[in-house]
Amino acid sequence: MDDLNALLKAKIPCPQTGIEVKHTVCAICSPAYNCGIDAYVKDGKLLKVEGMDSHPRSKGGLCTKGLANREFVYRSDRILTPLKRVGERGEGKFCPITWEEAYTEIAQKLLAIRAQDGPDAVAFFGGYNKWYRPWLRRFAHSFGTYNYGTESSTCMTAGWMAWKVAAGQLARPDMAHCDLYLGWAFNPYYSGYLNAQAAEKRKAEGVKFIVVDPRITPTTEKLADLHLRPRPGTDGALALCIGNTLIQRGWIDREFIQQHVHGFAEYAEYAKDFNETNVEALTGVPYSQVLQACEMIRDSKAMAIQENSAPIPHHKNGLQNYRAIMALSALTGNFDRVGGQVPAHHSFTHQIAGFETREEEWQDATAPAHQKPAVGEERFPLWFHTEREMQVVDLARQINEGTPYPVKAIFGMGVNFRMLPQDGELVKAIKKLDFFVNTDLFLTDTCKLADIVLPVCSSLERGELETYPGGWAWFTKPAIKRVGESRSDVEIIRDLAQRMELGDRELEAGYEANVDFMLSNLGLTVAELKQSEVPVKVDFTPYQPGTRRREGLPTATGKFELYSEMIASHPQWGLDPLPTYCPPLDDADEKEYPYALCSGGRLPNALHSRLHKVPWLRSLRPDPTAEISLEDAQALEISDGDGIELYTARGSISVKAHPSRRVQPGVVFFYHGYSQADVNALMSDQHVDPYSGFPAYNATRCGMRKKVEQ
Amino acid sequence: MSRLAIDLDMSKCVSCGACAIACMDQNDIELDAGKGPFRCVFDMEEREGFSHLSLACMHCVDAPCIVGCPSACIHKDPETNLTVFDTTNCIGCHSCAMACPYGVPSFGPDGKMVKCDGCYVRVHHGLLPACVKVCPTKALRLIDLDAPAEIPPEHSLRQRSLALLERQV
Repeated sequence: MDDLNALLKAKIPCPQTGIEVKHTVCAICSPAYNCGIDAYVKDGKLLKVEGMDSHPRSKGGLCTKGLANREFVYRSDRILTPLKRVGERGEGKFCPITWEEAYTEIAQKLLAIRAQDGPDAVAFFGGYNKWYRPWLRRFAHSFGTYNYGTESSTCMTAGWMAWKVAAGQLARPDMAHCDLYLGWAFNPYYSGYLNAQAAEKRKAEGVKFIVVDPRITPTTEKLADLHLRPRPGTDGALALCIGNTLIQRGWIDREFIQQHVHGFAEYAEYAKDFNETNVEALTGVPYSQVLQACEMIRDSKAMAIQENSAPIPHHKNGLQNYRAIMALSALTGNFDRVGGQVPAHHSFTHQIAGFETREEEWQDATAPAHQKPAVGEERFPLWFHTEREMQVVDLARQINEGTPYPVKAIFGMGVNFRMLPQDGELVKAIKKLDFFVNTDLFLTDTCKLADIVLPVCSSLERGELETYPGGWAWFTKPAIKRVGESRSDVEIIRDLAQRMELGDRELEAGYEANVDFMLSNLGLTVAELKQSEVPVKVDFTPYQPGTRRREGLPTATGKFELYSEMIASHPQWGLDPLPTYCPPLDDADEKEYPYALCSGGRLPNALHSRLHKVPWLRSLRPDPTAEISLEDAQALEISDGDGIELYTARGSISVKAHPSRRVQPGVVFFYHGYSQADVNALMSDQHVDPYSGFPAYNATRCGMRKKVEQ
Repeated sequence: MSRLAIDLDMSKCVSCGACAIACMDQNDIELDAGKGPFRCVFDMEEREGFSHLSLACMHCVDAPCIVGCPSACIHKDPETNLTVFDTTNCIGCHSCAMACPYGVPSFGPDGKMVKCDGCYVRVHHGLLPACVKVCPTKALRLIDLDAPAEIPPEHSLRQRSLALLERQV
């Protein structure tokens, strides 16, 4: 038998070693996953993580990122106590203070600014993850402002907006029952292994896959029956050409269109301009491949479409491109049916579990009278119309210009200025503020700009509600001792709401009481959920596909709107009711900036910037590396591993080059969030989508040159 | 006694690196101290197509490293037949690395040999090797050499490399 040393070294959970396995949750990536973790713990300290076998959704799985939770949680730059700035902003000089001192100063400063300039002079800005968002939103409302916004100002939301515009609510692809899967910007091997597992299972069962991606990826290698490779940002033209071809050939569902689609004639007329004569010039995809895709659509009984809410909207025409892709579901009668797109709603913190909670009602219960326009509302009116929150993309401009009114303080939770295009503008803006608070796990470059920094804990150090597709709910328990004096984001909001005497008794009652309210329509309580160590099935009636067809969609016409009445009824917005197309690149000089810079495509070992300083993960790809085409590499005499510079009118970054057949000529792929090679500094805060406000991270003109060794 | 080994279904691997991270978590690999994981992934571009590999000790049946070690540090675990080691007497001569057809043994800052031990203590306790447990595409498997093959020979890293070695000999 193995001796105690061997058992300890192998981390065997047993009485001899004293190692226990505790169930908890990974919150490194989107709450759409929140995979279960088996945490190997001894004396409150995390020794190892593994996927949680008894988890009904992740079923023992955990990805590259989640497996590094131990190094993430114990990253060497974890903040241990509240900090107060003693040096200049950005210098990173702080002294530790007590929570009492921090709360007192924050409450005093924010209330003083409100007394002098009104509540809208404070912006409440949340970063990633999303678990505390309903609380931060309500905190802002109870303070008196709509100036609440988040990281979702540049991720995800535009996709949901597109759905609200066309169908009144979002809808999800029913992969489990389709026979054709149109995966638009679909690479789950890097971004969501559960989807990859599901796709492989369906592929083995005979489902056909069309994958649309400018790059060759593991997904195009392993899953695609047909791979369409448009140039970045030309998705709308490609989707319109597919739509037009389906119409011209009569491969559409006329009965569905007649009964449930609004604006078909206008759409059909507009889409005519995208056809065999120009689609290859517009997108790079030969018409023969468009036809092949259309034939596969014709032959399918049920097509589900995966539209991806980061890569598709990260373009100047992103939301419209997204709508053009969604239109294919309506044209073919695949909307609101088994195996097609099934209407859905968020259950809790952007998780789609199948049941409804009272989260939205709770988070908006103290919404103030809408007086001054929220940040970004005038510039991005559709955004505010559907989201009722600030569009953070306009925050730096408003602070720097002071129009339409000055914002003097930011209460930030996990804010990272690098999420924004031309992000130096936000740094400049923060330096002008009267007061900036930020919370985070780590002393980030953004925290270094703050007056007060508060340490928050990770998902392993707190308890929280999770919900999962299939109708599961789970209330987790802390698995390890908290690092330093860190507290949870929601505890901080509750404490401040009390100190500031905002008069919001419910917010002051704390997380569990609030969750009890949100679950009250389901007859569930936190106390009951806590009795289970694993997710439990919630008793509810699932949505039956076809209900919306029968009862009408929550749009102005009750139909799927190819022609949006929401947009048409606001001519002052200057936006198109049809999913129109415009070319993706900015108007920088084509000769000086001949490449399309496409940033943000996922790596298996990174998420935003939060994992770049986790040594295990960074070791898989130590150098910030741009992937370029073999053709461009040859023309510039660039070899693998050479140093190159990428530049725009806004600046330049030095990175390593990796020439690859995975990349088309003329395109440069580069991952974001690196401190030493911040690609968002190259992006433009003007080259953004007027519908959503989203920055054009996936198609911005850039120059590239080989770095000459000094 | 079973005869176990870890094999890779090359058609399923996507070079995501989950196995390498799990290896580092299991074995407390401190990169700052000059150590590295016992399993590495490769994302390779070839003239035609792309290859994905995850590579560590192959736990050969007739492991040449065992014969190659002058200090008798390496042996077969009696319960699992995985190739394990006790480097108390390791003199850091690198003979094992030279004997290994895959170049697997590596040497830590103390000069002593380290390599994948198949997480044999975990296997004794009914657990899978850390890398096999986490592989998101189920490309890595703990296989029983005496049971019918789970991985088609044309996709098996073990079968392919054995065939290659035989051709060389």
